[in-house]
Amino acid sequence: MGLTDWFEALHMDYDGQARAEKFSRIIILLFGIVGFVWGYVIQQFSETVRILGAGFILAAVLTIPPWPIYKRKALQWQKVRPVKAAEGESSTEKKETKKKK
Amino acid sequence: MHIIQFNDGPFSIVIIRDHSHQVRMHSAFTRCHALAAYTVSVLAGLTFVCFVTTAFRDYSANADINTVTVLVRNVPDYSASREKNDMGFMIFDLKADLRPLFNWNVKQLFLYLTAEYETPSNKLNQVVIWDKIIQRGENAVLDHKNIRPKYYFWDDGNGLRGNKNVTLTLSWNVIPNAGHLPILVAKGNHRFTFPEEYTTTKM
Repeated sequence: MGLTDWFEALHMDYDGQARAEKFSRIIILLFGIVGFVWGYVIQQFSETVRILGAGFILAAVLTIPPWPIYKRKALQWQKVRPVKAAEGESSTEKKETKKKK
Repeated sequence: MHIIQFNDGPFSIVIIRDHSHQVRMHSAFTRCHALAAYTVSVLAGLTFVCFVTTAFRDYSANADINTVTVLVRNVPDYSASREKNDMGFMIFDLKADLRPLFNWNVKQLFLYLTAEYETPSNKLNQVVIWDKIIQRGENAVLDHKNIRPKYYFWDDGNGLRGNKNVTLTLSWNVIPNAGHLPILVAKGNHRFTFPEEYTTTKM
């Protein structure tokens, strides 16, 4: 598996990862609140913990794998520029320092 | 975020300069970690609020204690000095409804029955003679008849024979999911007198 394949398999784009995190927090918090209310009603705190656990599993399934909806705004990379054969040193940074001198 | 690109010989090098700490590429592992950490934080918060909902509960209740048989012996205490000490013995009844003590922040109650009395050498003697654990979900209505003590009721001398004022009290320790562990003494106790004569026969 090449580096790009690995990247594709595990990563989202920046917008996707922000949404995934927000989404996971909403799910956990929602299950936490519902679990708390239900646990209070039946006076059983273990049910609260169990419902929170269900929220954790749901959030894990929905926000940990890089589903396609988290890959809609991929970064637009610049194209690789051709090598300038004329100059010995070709890095843009070095060029800039030379100019300053 | 800055993206700087070099074209250096046969290689093309791309440097991504990330100046903001919010903008980072997350792997699936990073997301697992963040999710687990957030879930645990929420759980800690819920546990704290659970504690708050029960922090001001009144864990007191009534208990009805009665002695059926009371006797006192004078026998050597081999576990201590081998000298003859007073050992009390009683058969007692115990009645208490502890159901109101349970709520979602109570895991179990530790009940213990204490005998309190005064002797010439000690102003206050306290001896635990019986205990019981009630876990949540178990029957919390106590209606015991003719219980024998679980632990020996030793005096550290001869203070029990003819003692006119021995008090039996039921106390409990509330063990919560989260919060403090209150110790309470039941309302209602039982006072009794030990006989003037030692019992020498076996029961």
